[in-house]
Amino acid sequence: MATVVVGAGLSGLAAALRLAEAGERVTLLTKGIGGLPLSAGTVDVLGYAGDERVTRPYEALVTLAAAAPDHPYALLGRDAVEAAVAWLQAQVPELLAGQPGVNVTLPTAVGALRPTCLYPPSMAAGADLAGKAVAIVGPRQLKDFYPALCAANLARTPGGPAAAVGHSLDLPARPGEADASGLAYARSLDDPECRARFVAAVAAVVGDAEVVGLPAVLGYKDLNAWRAIQEGLGKPVFEITLIPPSVPGLRLNDALTALAKAAGVRIVLGSKVTGYTAEGGKVTSVTLHQAGHNQPWPADHVVYAPGGFESGALRVDSYGHVKETLFDLPVAAMGSGTVATERVLRATATGPDTMAPEGSAATGPDTTPAPAQPLLTGDFWQDQALFKLGVRVDAALRPIDESGRPVFTNLYATGSLLAGAIRWSEKSGEGIALGSAWAAAEVILGR
Amino acid sequence: MFEPTSHEANLLARASVDQCVKCTICETQCPVMAVTPLFAGPKFVGPQAERFRHGESVDHTLDYCSSCGTCTLVCPQGVKIAELNSVARAAMKRDHMPPRDRLISRTTLMGQAMRPIAPLANAALRAAPVRVLAEKIAGIHRDAAMPVSSGQPFHAWWAKHQPAPTAGPAGTVIFFHGCAGDYFEVATSIQAVEVLERLGFNVLVPKQGCCGMALQSNGLYDTARAWVRRLVADLEKAPQDLVIVSTAGSCQGMLKHEAREIMGVEDESLQAIGTRTRDICEFLLEKIEAGQLNFGVKRLDVTVTYHAPCQLKGQGMGQPAVELLRLIPGVTVVESGATCCGIAGTYGFKKEKYEIAKAVGQPLFDKVKEVNPKLALCDTETCRWQIRQHTGAQVEHPIYLLHKALGLS
Ligand SMILES: Cc1cc2nc3c(=O)[nH]c(=O)nc-3n(C[C@H](O)[C@H](O)[C@H](O)COP(=O)(O)OP(=O)(O)OC[C@H]3O[C@@H](n4cnc5c(N)ncnc54)[C@H](O)[C@@H]3O)c2cc1C
Ligand code: SF4
Ligand code: SF4
Repeated sequence: MATVVVGAGLSGLAAALRLAEAGERVTLLTKGIGGLPLSAGTVDVLGYAGDERVTRPYEALVTLAAAAPDHPYALLGRDAVEAAVAWLQAQVPELLAGQPGVNVTLPTAVGALRPTCLYPPSMAAGADLAGKAVAIVGPRQLKDFYPALCAANLARTPGGPAAAVGHSLDLPARPGEADASGLAYARSLDDPECRARFVAAVAAVVGDAEVVGLPAVLGYKDLNAWRAIQEGLGKPVFEITLIPPSVPGLRLNDALTALAKAAGVRIVLGSKVTGYTAEGGKVTSVTLHQAGHNQPWPADHVVYAPGGFESGALRVDSYGHVKETLFDLPVAAMGSGTVATERVLRATATGPDTMAPEGSAATGPDTTPAPAQPLLTGDFWQDQALFKLGVRVDAALRPIDESGRPVFTNLYATGSLLAGAIRWSEKSGEGIALGSAWAAAEVILGR
Repeated sequence: MFEPTSHEANLLARASVDQCVKCTICETQCPVMAVTPLFAGPKFVGPQAERFRHGESVDHTLDYCSSCGTCTLVCPQGVKIAELNSVARAAMKRDHMPPRDRLISRTTLMGQAMRPIAPLANAALRAAPVRVLAEKIAGIHRDAAMPVSSGQPFHAWWAKHQPAPTAGPAGTVIFFHGCAGDYFEVATSIQAVEVLERLGFNVLVPKQGCCGMALQSNGLYDTARAWVRRLVADLEKAPQDLVIVSTAGSCQGMLKHEAREIMGVEDESLQAIGTRTRDICEFLLEKIEAGQLNFGVKRLDVTVTYHAPCQLKGQGMGQPAVELLRLIPGVTVVESGATCCGIAGTYGFKKEKYEIAKAVGQPLFDKVKEVNPKLALCDTETCRWQIRQHTGAQVEHPIYLLHKALGLS
């Protein structure tokens, strides 16, 4: 029969593509486009371990796994993550440069340096700014990109350039457009004529800067647009990721979706999976809520890659109850090393600094004593336990219950659903999404 | 302004706007925003502007939304963006609806009026002076693709039709052709019946009117509601345990979900009909994959672009036509990869939208010309007209190839 993958984020797309190229029949069901168009178009494996910036992510991953046995990396291990990242890079070499296993730092739109592992070739020159004179240039009519701000912050960042100057251009994406997204610019820079105007305007302001930083809008469909711009300027340029819509993220999303389709993956977009049937400890089908009726999609294996809180796969209510919304899988509390029920989690949410209403733990039906941590604290930079919540899995990526047994023998959870990591502060989300997709595919393929 | 208790008011106030996380994914896929700076885009006119609406719309660029539904399809948070926009536009236009929007919304009327004098009507619709007048008076762009009325409507063919000897063993289905399938795209309807009968189905065709889709997309909800209810009553006259199989890619969506989700028709009969409705490719594919059909097709060596229309994609069932046609040996189906052909129901007919609609469809037209300039496939009628107009290709419903592969043509 077939494998059904739920979710079209990096994890679901990678799992579907991997399985299909190995000859499996794969259907990918997704209620919407996944998180890639919101991402930087880079692949983060591990950017920070505690407060330390990581330079060798695979080595740091091993250290992290030893210290934090609940972290997804402890389960996946270095080999799966390494294999998955190398595989992805080989799928889209035109979109991912870099040396797996080595982090670089790339400038963000506010001029901070952000660690990542793989990155688009159009960003490569941004990894090597130390000691150089840099110009940061962007159109005034582009939303939320301020060259002067970016340059000033870069110039004062340790490890940053020797000098950085920002220049704003008066250059609408389309005639009369005062406030355009990066995508509107990227589409117009696919056109050689617009590109020539852009190059002329940039060239007029950069002076003798050695490297030119530009917003990540240098072409959308034309993956060589940035090279043409670089040639036109006669100096190295680098793209700087913006807030969404992220053009580099879109390019990666489009490429992986096209590869999945070409490999034979059947993609059903726009309907939510709202239920399932199971028999003898196996999921036999998932139920897709299509227009007009519910359609069962039979499956031998189900890869469940629905993201986490941000995509609605995990939900927290005002009492601090956390639930997995489709299979009602047990949600793991962190720090305990065991799977706790949602009741325990609710009880953790107490105190004025937490998100639960005061006294809710005492008024709820259950008064299990509160373990270690509140779900959220008022200090942004503190460890936020909420985001470590998720589903715990066994070595075969199957969600497990309180006793450590798989809930279903053919259901595999991957990506942001997995408990144990704070992806956005560790910069580990993409490595986890890929490593878990890879590992689940290996199990399904019987390797 | 709507009555405060009306469905429209409820929908306008609906909380799905709060699910919006401002991720901009809808903006990246909106085909109109991609080609014109005149439209502020789904996130802005949808969940954002919705918060500031008290009956009156704060943002009039809303009228540029073609209601293609792409934004709703791709939103990972389940925000009903296109539906909100449709309702808000209906509210905005309620008091100053151009007569043109009323005219082109009545597909059946146009079909009926044109039929007895089809050659004349077709010629008149294509004659330059008439089109210039139509543009001046009614605001219908002079180059917009217009339907070609067919001399004999499908219901006349059906009245004389004798079931094929193969019909019967696979069971009985109800065929829903939609009004364009009766008056304009008659060949598609005939092919569908012949394919179903060849594959063993006994086909019933109850008398059926218009679903009101074009009225709805032009904001004429009251009439559209009455029409869809009448259609439901028509279809209910056939046995109520049978699957309704359809070649009308967008009208089937009206029955499946749009009448309810956009116009708030809360009606058990409608829901029952919607639950039984299947796209013809969806239906056949499911039967074939379940091993329930004897699918004996001959080889057809052809490479063809297939364009999945927005309103078909909006039904959230994937692209069954692609999977179905790939079962025919020798057929290479190239997905258009285009979001929208631009016509979006009647949007592209309008003078002020014509150029936008053309720009929206351009990547699709280029694809058709590149892959096979002679033949392309698409499941909905107005989209076929639009693609024909701008590529000169013969554009058919996917069932056309299956009809050939089964040796029926
Ligand atoms: C604010 C924020 C910042 C982040 N920053 C970083 C960072 O800097 N670096 C990093 O590595 N990671 C970061 N992450 C984590 C990031 O989310 C992951 O790296 C990665 O995107 C997860 O991919 P995924 O495939 O698991 O899930 P997603 O990309 O979320 O995809 C989930 C998919 O599942 C679908 N889906 C969900 N439920 C259903 C259902 N019931 N039926 C059908 N389809 C369904 C959705 O439509 C979607 O397509 C950040 C996350 C957040 C929220
Ligand atoms: S895709 Fe959905 S959540 Fe994202 S901005 Fe659009 S409406 Fe909001
Ligand atoms: S319905 Fe189509 S045209 Fe309208 S906002 Fe949504 S994607 Fe854009």
